[in-house]
Amino acid sequence: MTLNLTRRIFAAASLSAALLASTALLAETPKQGGILVYLEQQPHTVLYPPAGGFYPNGGILNQITDKLTYQNPETLEIEPWIAESWEVNEDATQYAFKLRPGVTFSDGSPLDAAAVVANFDAFGLGDQARNFPVSEVVNNYERGEVLDPLTVRFHFKAPSPGFLQGTSVIGSGLVSLATLGRNYAELGDARLIIGSGPFLVKSQTTGSEVVLSVREDYAWGPKLHPHQGRAPLDGIRYVITPEDGVRIGALLSGQADFVRQIQAYDEKQVTDRGYALYAPSTRGVNNSVVFRPDNPLVADIRVRQALLHATDAKEIVETLFSANYPVATSIIAANAQGYVDLSDKLTYDPELADKLLTEAGWIVGASGLREKDGAVLEFTAYESPPQPQNRATLQLVAQQWGRLGVKLNVLAGDSGSRTQDNLDPEKTPVSPAMVGRADPDVIKSQYHPTNRNVLLQLGGVAEKVKSFRDDRLNGLLEAVAAETDPAKRLALTAEVQNYVIDQAYAIPIFEEPQVFGGAPYLKGVGFEAVGRPSFYGAWLDR
Amino acid sequence: MTRRLLERLGQALLVLWAAFTIAFVLLQLMPGDAVLIKFVGGDLGLSPEAVAEIRAFYGADAPAWRRYLDALAGVVTGDFGYSIASGVPVAEEIRTNLPATLWLAGLAFALAVGLALLVAFLATLGPFAWLRGAFQALPGLMVSIPVFWLGVLLIQIFSFKLGWVSVIAPGPWERLVLPVIAISIPIAAPLAQILIRNLDAVSTAPFVHVARAKGASRRWVMLRHVLRNALLPALTIAGVLFGELLAGAVVTETVFGLNGIGRLAEQAVRAQDAAVLQAVVLIAAFGFVAINLIVDLLYPLFDPRLRRGGRAPA
Repeated sequence: MTLNLTRRIFAAASLSAALLASTALLAETPKQGGILVYLEQQPHTVLYPPAGGFYPNGGILNQITDKLTYQNPETLEIEPWIAESWEVNEDATQYAFKLRPGVTFSDGSPLDAAAVVANFDAFGLGDQARNFPVSEVVNNYERGEVLDPLTVRFHFKAPSPGFLQGTSVIGSGLVSLATLGRNYAELGDARLIIGSGPFLVKSQTTGSEVVLSVREDYAWGPKLHPHQGRAPLDGIRYVITPEDGVRIGALLSGQADFVRQIQAYDEKQVTDRGYALYAPSTRGVNNSVVFRPDNPLVADIRVRQALLHATDAKEIVETLFSANYPVATSIIAANAQGYVDLSDKLTYDPELADKLLTEAGWIVGASGLREKDGAVLEFTAYESPPQPQNRATLQLVAQQWGRLGVKLNVLAGDSGSRTQDNLDPEKTPVSPAMVGRADPDVIKSQYHPTNRNVLLQLGGVAEKVKSFRDDRLNGLLEAVAAETDPAKRLALTAEVQNYVIDQAYAIPIFEEPQVFGGAPYLKGVGFEAVGRPSFYGAWLDR
Repeated sequence: MTRRLLERLGQALLVLWAAFTIAFVLLQLMPGDAVLIKFVGGDLGLSPEAVAEIRAFYGADAPAWRRYLDALAGVVTGDFGYSIASGVPVAEEIRTNLPATLWLAGLAFALAVGLALLVAFLATLGPFAWLRGAFQALPGLMVSIPVFWLGVLLIQIFSFKLGWVSVIAPGPWERLVLPVIAISIPIAAPLAQILIRNLDAVSTAPFVHVARAKGASRRWVMLRHVLRNALLPALTIAGVLFGELLAGAVVTETVFGLNGIGRLAEQAVRAQDAAVLQAVVLIAAFGFVAINLIVDLLYPLFDPRLRRGGRAPA
């Protein structure tokens, strides 16, 4: 606990240091020019904005599209961007936005009320003919209305309090009518994504490179952003470099300026050489292990609770990670909205775990594993490759559970088997899970059966589920998504966190950051609220 | 001659069709598919209805025989469809990636042949017995070097330490230097090995003694008589090594972050992107067929006995 506290203080200190540093940097006048070389681990996929949750996609979309509103990454306040002002009615079923005049997409077409309505009609309703799926961040959408060329109003079937924040995320990036006229299947070609952002796509070599160039006439950055006008950089070159060692070597040898995904064990290499390490939090649902109670092995709450207390998150973080990965104290990050500290309920207590398992009838048998009525307490989980050191994390969990006679097999598997088995509670009674978004809706995104459905409840994409469904949980999640009173919404969010932990549906492990490395001469890099880089204010001091 | 050519062509088409069909069947046997991986396993949080719609759009909800016929008809008419994972037409992916891999493989092969000849000559004609012994042992070492490790080592030394070549934003030739070296070394090994053995074997053949007895120099006999005869088995192996080249391309393109067919294949396998994989399999099969055809046609050039109606006694 003390260590946890020290770590928090340390984190707070480093954050304020970073803030001080960034203000100090802002005092310098940015030098204009230069191409930033950005090394990304994976190629982007379809760049339809609502698919921007995937980090490689978000890293590009964030530079080429603007949003109606801007969520200040430090205060999480919603600030004006393309929308100069807005009004929300009492029950959050109508939102009106007044748009900034003179904004154009990079193909020259105007970003006006008609374009905004077309965007949100696509995001909120989907488009069957063009295969646009409904955006995860726009709930209860009914229709959009053009009041005049610079005023729009959105109507909702039911209260949608998360919508204002939803307009600020990468998934709500505004694109031109030409882009919306394309089919979803074509939008892997970045050149077809016409936004109004500070950069535009110049060229793409599918699977290996994307080049952005600056928009000289850009004059509509977020109103309160420290930088205004044209972005200082002339362009950004994204190079896909799958090898961890090559990305870091290239950064340290001056061949790249900014790289994504630096593992905890490589952090020292970067900082020792005087390079900058950026570790913005993803402010969402923590990196966790979740249960699928449809599987009889984990249907008993005592078994789940026992495994929760058998898991030593602190040991995992100390063994595998660094100070940039705080030990989880709830199912969401400490800087996520509506967070409550549940560390008292998340104690590592092997004696309690042993007692609970014995009570539930699981006794250590001749094989050294717990058995009951001929069944053995043995689980299988697939590693999740996008999560940092996920295999090692699960293996450490397996060791910890092993001390109590519970076996956890960790599989790598091909993506097809992994995806398919992860939808079958019989095959994967436990699974790793995480998601980032700076709004209380994030918990619903993660747990609700019609969204990501990590617990595999009845009524979601998983067809193999027999009976498990927790209506109390779903009711709470829906209430969070619909509650218009901010205070009540946060209270409900607290209730959800307590409920998930009381039911021991999830074992939170750590708060997941996105770790980037940057050259010492690269200044002014910003991050949106969930840790995707923004190069609008970035410049090269060389 | 025309009949022989038509026969070969028919065989080639049969091989291509078989490769396409086997690839399709194997993809069916794998659990899950590209739509599942991308839209259910991805970061989208889609509803079951939305996933069903996407499945219908890609025709992924049709029975397997139907998808097979559609894909086959597409290939015949030159329409390879869309890559589900990357959202661009497969034909475009091939267009951008194939030339890069052809350059890489072509240059690597040329370098491998050069290296093999050099090693073989030094191993048989080199001065000092110990030096010849060392070069005879070299192919064994070369073949055991993993391409992946060699690639990373070359990058560390020549790019990161010495700064001679850039791996991140290299010029069109610069980008090929290190990967070509990395692939060519393991490819050169079996070629060199076979050349050394054949040079040895042929050197002891009676006609060599005759030539030497007539007063020809050792070097002259080597080049005029022995090498020509020793090349044939090496040529056969060269055809087989095409597969190694492709495998080498998969690894080096990923390590060096180059675009190319190998990297495309690796990404498509991960995403079970059937349309892309089918196209890659077809290209690889076509490569094999073409190389073997070329090798067959080259034999008679090296060995007059294989020429039709050849007069040389066996």
